[in-house]
Amino acid sequence: MFMVSMKHYGWALTCIGGAGVLLTAVMGYTYAPMVQSPPFRSPEAYRILFWHVPFAWTSFIAFCLLFIGAITWFLKREEWGWVLFCTGADLGLLFGLGVVISGPIWGSAEWGVPWDWGDLRLNTFGLLTAVTLFIVLSRRSQPDGIDTRDTLSTIGLFGFALVPITAIATSVYQKRHPSVVIAQSDETGLDPKMLEVLMIGIFSFWILMVGLSILTFLAYKLESELNNLLQLLDDEVVH
Amino acid sequence: MLPLIQISDLDIHRGNRLIISEMNFELFEGEVVALVGSNGCGKTTLLESSAGMHAISSGLISWRNEGFEMKLVRDSEGRRGSLPPMGLTLQKNGMSGEETIEERLTTVLAVSGCHYDSTKVSQLLNYWGLEHRKSDRISQLSGGLARRLAVLSGLAPAVMSEKPRAILLDEPSEGLDESARELLVDWLRALASKGHGVILATHDPQIMLAADRIMEFDEKRGVSVKKQKHPLSNFDLPKPSGNAKISKISSLFHWAYRMEKRNPIDTISRFIPSILALLLIHTLINEDEISVAGPDFVAAMILLPSFISVVIPPALISRYAEENCGRWWGAVIGPKFRTFSSIIGSSIILPLPLIYISWLVITDFGVQREDLGAVSSWLWLPGIVMFSVAIAASALHLLVSDLRRVGASAASLLLLVLVWPFLELVDALVMIMNDGMSFGFSLDEPLSMIFLSFSVSILVWAISVYLPDS
Repeated sequence: MFMVSMKHYGWALTCIGGAGVLLTAVMGYTYAPMVQSPPFRSPEAYRILFWHVPFAWTSFIAFCLLFIGAITWFLKREEWGWVLFCTGADLGLLFGLGVVISGPIWGSAEWGVPWDWGDLRLNTFGLLTAVTLFIVLSRRSQPDGIDTRDTLSTIGLFGFALVPITAIATSVYQKRHPSVVIAQSDETGLDPKMLEVLMIGIFSFWILMVGLSILTFLAYKLESELNNLLQLLDDEVVH
Repeated sequence: MLPLIQISDLDIHRGNRLIISEMNFELFEGEVVALVGSNGCGKTTLLESSAGMHAISSGLISWRNEGFEMKLVRDSEGRRGSLPPMGLTLQKNGMSGEETIEERLTTVLAVSGCHYDSTKVSQLLNYWGLEHRKSDRISQLSGGLARRLAVLSGLAPAVMSEKPRAILLDEPSEGLDESARELLVDWLRALASKGHGVILATHDPQIMLAADRIMEFDEKRGVSVKKQKHPLSNFDLPKPSGNAKISKISSLFHWAYRMEKRNPIDTISRFIPSILALLLIHTLINEDEISVAGPDFVAAMILLPSFISVVIPPALISRYAEENCGRWWGAVIGPKFRTFSSIIGSSIILPLPLIYISWLVITDFGVQREDLGAVSSWLWLPGIVMFSVAIAASALHLLVSDLRRVGASAASLLLLVLVWPFLELVDALVMIMNDGMSFGFSLDEPLSMIFLSFSVSILVWAISVYLPDS
């Protein structure tokens, strides 16, 4: 009963979040004002900001779930930790890919280059997204077992251990190669209308993430129960 | 009397299913213990866990060392210790097809600290009908003969030792013919009579009859134990050869070197893509483009073939994957296995010559300037640091190879982090090309960039080597 009601909540939140995400795109094109050129090289492309920034913030939360799940499994071998780890990896990949795809599109239009090796945020997200892609692909291709879980949670922690190393390497690299600048302007802060659209975007992505988290979490719980039943069936047949 | 192996309160999970629950077990001198039961009941898991090969959910495993003290091999907190000299035959043979029969046996005797010479090795092989094939590669043997060798490799460390040792055999009679099974039973009883202890997992009733204790695993009733009495055996085993220095790590180095010398797939699989990259650069980019692109591009092109050579997966991993060879080495070497494998598996020979070859090819494009003559005398420095990138890459590949289906995982996704050591080496080379070599430690000096590249690589290596075993 609890699972059924959670499933309904999950679907409801996913639908509301998804609608909000679409609304953000529409408002970004129709409601948010155009920026000036200069300082922006490609003013039309700035609208990608309304998805890029919420993608980044949401993926950060998903990476945190992955980290908490990895450390819980690594230290305590708790089943819920593993399910949280898998959920964090799936959502981290989804939203992380959103960041690393939308970022280079915007970068290409605005900076003339798709990737900046001196940008810490970009590199960190790129690296963590690569780690989550590895985890998701491996989790699907490897047989489930304590050894597989140990290795994958280790790789999850490994991804986070790389963040400070990446930070040092990137910041030193940046000192030699100054990072590209999005736009140089005397103005500070966002236009209120832009801020409105951006906030709608961020809240919509968060709601979407909560909905997807519930659904993914339930899917993994069901998968785990199904595996237990299959093993009981194996025991009945073999023994 | 202290047992040879002691297992206390052992719990092992497979997925979220408890395979072994609160198991307490001791193997004493002079006994053969048979683990029996249907498929999937946990026989192999218990046997391999005894050798510290599996992570355990709770409990601890200890072995008696040659100084008659109990030493921890593995516990649920992640502590690990190496095994004392022992014999191990896995369900798969645990041998590489590149080894010769004689090499396999000498390797087994070397890692278990047994003194040996060619006569002794021939004598052992002769017992098992393998002496005439001793110079052949294992890949040339039939399945049955290869199994004979695997079983002999498990038994030999005890046969050649005067002190009691533990032997672990997983389904040893699988694939053996009738005469080899009889020989196995004779050797098992003779070894027990000499004080050695044996744990074996089997479905074979003939082998079960040779056991002093039969532990039957049953899903519903748990573990039941049946004891059998045996008279002392008077079977004539080869005489022990005395003890020698245990050389586990050097044996692993020698083994890896021999395999590569015999079939240099590692060198070739690293060299060909690097040279192809270099030839493509030479073909597709002309002198004008090189001159316009500037020193950053030139430096990157010089280091790129070398970088490609170091990030390619080591052949050692595919050698380890053959017949569970790596699991056998992992059990024998113990906790330091990953550390040494990452060094052995990395590209040692290629990075430096590749940098010089690239330099010669690229400077042929017309970027020669009079002041570049001094650069070539410092190219060895990024070449040496490239070796640290190589061991970091090798450690990352090994981390991925822990997964059961190694080929099904994309290790290249984790190699992204090595872009930064590469970029910093490129920076260092640019500085050397622009201003010559200098020895200061500010950010604008090549030495600091080289040091940073080295540090990042070593940190990545340390994390990938020590985190999984922590």
